[in-house]
Parts: sequence; structure tokens; C-alpha cells
Amino acid sequence: MASVTYDRATRAFGSTVAVSELSLEIADGEFMVLVGPSGSGKTTALRLLAGLEPLTAGHVRIGERVVDDVAPRERDIAMVFQDYALYPQMSVRQNLAFGLRIRKLSRAEIDRRVERAAEMLGIGPLLERKPRQLSGGQRQRVALGRALVRDPQVFLMDEPLSNLDAQLRAQTRGEIRRLQREVGTTTVYVTHDQVEAMTMGDRIAILRDGLLEQVGAPDDVYAEPANTFVAGFIGSPAMGLTRAGVERNGGASRLVLGDLRLELGDVRELPAEVVVGVRPEHTRPWDGDGGLIGPIDGRVEFTESLGRETLVGVAAPGDSRFVVAIDGLAHLEPGSSLRFGLRRGWLYVFDAADERALGRV
Amino acid sequence: MIGRGEQALNYAILLLFSVIALYPIVGIVLTALAPPGELVGFGIPSSLHLENFSNAWDEGHFSTYLRSSVIVAVAVVSASTVLSILAGYAFGTMRFRGATAGFYVFLLGLMVPQEALVVPLYFDLRRLELTDTYWALILPQVALSVAFGTFWMRAFFLATPRSLLEAARIDGASSWTTLWRVLVPFGRPAILTMMVLVFMWTWNEFLLALVMVSSENLRTAPLGLAFFQGQHTSDLSLLAAGAVIVATPVVLVYVFLQRHFIRGMLSGAVKG
Repeated sequence: MASVTYDRATRAFGSTVAVSELSLEIADGEFMVLVGPSGSGKTTALRLLAGLEPLTAGHVRIGERVVDDVAPRERDIAMVFQDYALYPQMSVRQNLAFGLRIRKLSRAEIDRRVERAAEMLGIGPLLERKPRQLSGGQRQRVALGRALVRDPQVFLMDEPLSNLDAQLRAQTRGEIRRLQREVGTTTVYVTHDQVEAMTMGDRIAILRDGLLEQVGAPDDVYAEPANTFVAGFIGSPAMGLTRAGVERNGGASRLVLGDLRLELGDVRELPAEVVVGVRPEHTRPWDGDGGLIGPIDGRVEFTESLGRETLVGVAAPGDSRFVVAIDGLAHLEPGSSLRFGLRRGWLYVFDAADERALGRV
Repeated sequence: MIGRGEQALNYAILLLFSVIALYPIVGIVLTALAPPGELVGFGIPSSLHLENFSNAWDEGHFSTYLRSSVIVAVAVVSASTVLSILAGYAFGTMRFRGATAGFYVFLLGLMVPQEALVVPLYFDLRRLELTDTYWALILPQVALSVAFGTFWMRAFFLATPRSLLEAARIDGASSWTTLWRVLVPFGRPAILTMMVLVFMWTWNEFLLALVMVSSENLRTAPLGLAFFQGQHTSDLSLLAAGAVIVATPVVLVYVFLQRHFIRGMLSGAVKG
């Protein structure tokens, strides 16, 4: 077991910078999720740690050891690939044992480890089968098993669930987390799926265009996104973001959405141009309650009925868009009007110029 | 789904081309079975004479020629397979200085016709005192086959999922172990296909054998067949029997490995 440190790690392909000066400390035993849209550099960051890509600049450390020029096989890591990368001509048992045999462990030790991993993953009955005789979910388990038997310092996982169907994915998510807690091995997990990130990570690191945007515990990132990108990326359904003006009138501020003026009351000083973000759970149909900012009259664009609640996409003045959550089932035709408000204290405000968070009002 | 008419048309076209391909082969086999002196072509011979084969075998010294061919073919196929796998592995999976230029040099070997090489090659080998030895047949053909083999294996290694290689590297395998324990078993269809092709070309090689060897005991089967034809211009049955003897090993090798051959030809074209 070991900690992992990225120290201004950079990887460039010609003039394209895939990972730019990434600095990130991952604690011993921590489950760290690197999350971002495609092209954000998350997989490259993982490959830098694996030694499958050379660093252009900076350093990577596993424990206290700088591994910049250490071959992958000497880094004492195990990796689970998106396509599993099982050796097709070998049986499951041979797949699990391959890395151990190369490391010249005794036969008894290899058997012991393979049996134990097979038991933990419930793949005992599959040990003599070839990968092509397995279902996707079973292959995924074998790939996990191959990492597990190695008992490495760090697990690396590159979107290991993306080839599974939705139900199996949810189930395996929990299982990977359980296994990781059981063995306590430091894990770096790459995904583009923010639900995976939120549910699995001790902490999550959000990347965009090779830059680290924010790192923190899932709840903290959700509650306090550092900028508009993180705000829009983390959370499902996504936070609605809208440009707005700010007018100051004595001690009070007003938000300007087209012709609409929303009284914010006495809040901190804001720039004249901001981006306002509101999560669906912080919107409500207008009921005259003092806890709401509004009212806002909008036109229904779409509805998504989730059973427990209905999400209503609304176009509001000033070209703004919000998603309003209504408890239970709500039957609203597209084009109909909806009057709603925003929960006071839960409006995220970002600087319109640099998109950084300014706090909540 | 294809319609009935279209299916019938498919079969008609397949049948036509099968007949075109098979006509000369069946003709030769039937001629080889005909009584000496009887010209049958595509007709059924009046009586079957299997002794034509044993006569041809004895008179044409085919045991000597086939032995030479086997020695040359086995040596060429073995050496060029190993070398092609190694070169293809380097060009297909490794980044190194001069990789592109080096690969073009190999391609050059595919592009230059053998006829252009054979005369200077003869003088080179004569200076090395290698003419009229098996080496004169084996070395040039290994070189020519490696050009093709490297091209072929490189394409295979490029098409191999990269993650497979990387998984082996992380599992602790060296490049050498990755190649022989992970990639070669995985690439068996491609490798066997290459071996069949190289075997066929080596077996049927005529010009090089004609130029490089003069001793009778070094003659390969196609060369022996040519000399045999020179001696027996009148006895077509005997000639046909000789031709069948020379062609049989290639057919056997192909039939034996055909399942892999077809898979190898398709791999890359169709995602498994």
C-alpha cells in the first residue's frame, strides 16, 4: 500500500497538452476518482501513473519513490482496462496466475492467491474457462481478479464498468467499493460518469482539457463547486446555469433576467455580470413562500417523469433556462406556463468573466 | 436476407469460377491416371493406371527432388517466420528512431522483382562459394520472405488490442515474454497463414533454383519437374503424374491448415 503523488505532471503530444501541470496527492488506501468528459486528460493521467505514457515534465511518486523512469512492471501496480484485456488463449486461472508466475512465486502461493481472489469475486466455477466463454460481467470480474491477486501498491482502473449494462454497472459499483475497502489498496479510478464518481470516490478530481478543476469529497464538490464547469458537470440532473446582470440599490442587490428583476435582499457585493446556477432540488412551484426568490414565469419546454418527482425544463425571461423539480407526477404540456421560485440561499453565483464561484445567495 | 433469384445468381457465378479454376487441375489428374500415350484431357480415361505415379516417382528421381524441396521449404519457412515475427513486433508495437525508414526498406524487398535480383545475386553467392549448395536457395528466399512476413506481421501487431500488450507489461512481462507467451499464441491464425503462403511460394520457386544449383541431388521439385518434362515430352501421362506429385504437398499443407488460413485472411477485416 502506498500514497500516490502527481507533482506538476505534464504530458504533451506535440502541441496538444493532454495533462497540464497536474498536482494531486492521493492518500494511502484512498479511493480517488478522476472524472471528466472525453478529452479531459483523465485516462492520460492514469497512464502516466501506470508508466504507459512518458511524462513530458513533472514527477509522479508512488509512496516515497519517484517512478518517472520506472518501467510499468517495476511499479508494483495493477490495472483494470476498459476492454478487460484478458489473455484470450489462457483460461481464467492462467489469466489470474500469469503475473504471479512471471514474478516467480511458488506454485502453492499462486494457487492460494488465485483461489482466494476467485472466492472473493465468486468466479470459482469459471476458473477453467476461456475468456470467450464468459459473459461481459464475468470477464469484468476476472479482470478485477487479475488485479486483486497481484496484491499491488496501487490499483488503476480505466472505466472498468463502461461495457456493462446499467443494472450490472450499479451492482458492480458497490462491489468494487466493497472489495477496495476490504483490501485497503490505494485506488485510482477513471470514469466519465459523474454518478460513478459521486458514489464510489472517497474524493473525486474533476478534469477538463488537461487541467484539474477541483478536487474534494463528492458531497463537498456537489455542495461547493469551484466553477461553472464543475457545477454543470457534477450532479444529475445537471445544475441549470444562466447569465444574469446584477443591479445594486443601496444595500440590496437585484438579479436581472431580461425584463425580470429578482430581489436578493442584502447580500455580499457581486460583479455586474454573473452566472447563476440552480440545482433542480432548489426550485419549487411558486407558493408565495418567503423562502423563495421569485416569482419567475416560464414556459414549459419538456418534462421528465421519474416517478418520485417530475423534472420540468422551463424557459424563463432573459433567455434563461431552469429545471424545476415537482414532487410526484405532474402533467404539464410543453408550451404551458409555470410559475416558480428559487430557494433563497441556494443560488450559486459565479463570476461571468472567469467562471469562478463567488458563493451562494 | 437475399432473394431467391439473387441466391441462384450467386451460385451460378461461384460455379462458373469453380469450373474455370478446377478444369486444368481435373484435366491433369485424369491425364495422370490414363494409359500411357492416351490423351484424355477432361474425358474419363479408358482404364486407370495408378502405376503412372510409381513410374514417374522412380524415373523422375522425385524422392531426391522432394527431399531437397522439403529441406529448403522447412528451413525458409522456419527462419523467415521467426524473423518476421520479431521484425513485425518491433515495427508494430515499438517506437524507435528510424522505424519508418526501416520499414520502407523492408517494403522495398517486396517491390523489387526477383528477376532483377537473380543475376547479381548469383555472382555474389558464387564469390562466397555458396552456389550449388542449399544455402544458395535458402538464404535469398528467407530474405524475400522476411520482407513479406514483416509487412504481414506488422499489420497483425498493429491490429492487436493495445491493452493486451499493456496488461502484460503491467503484469510484469518483458517484451520478449509478452511476445511469445501472449501475442504469438493470440496471433496463431495470422502466423499460420503467413507460414502457408511462404511455404507455397518457396515450394513453387523455380527461377532461383534454376540459376543457383546445378547438381541433381540439390534440385527442388519444380526444377526436377522441368528436367523431367524435357526427357519425357511424349509421355503425357507420366508428366501429369509428376506434376501431381510435385503439387500434392502444397495442397496437403493448405487443406491441413485451411481453417486457420481463412481466419488469418479475415482477421483485421472483420472485428472478432
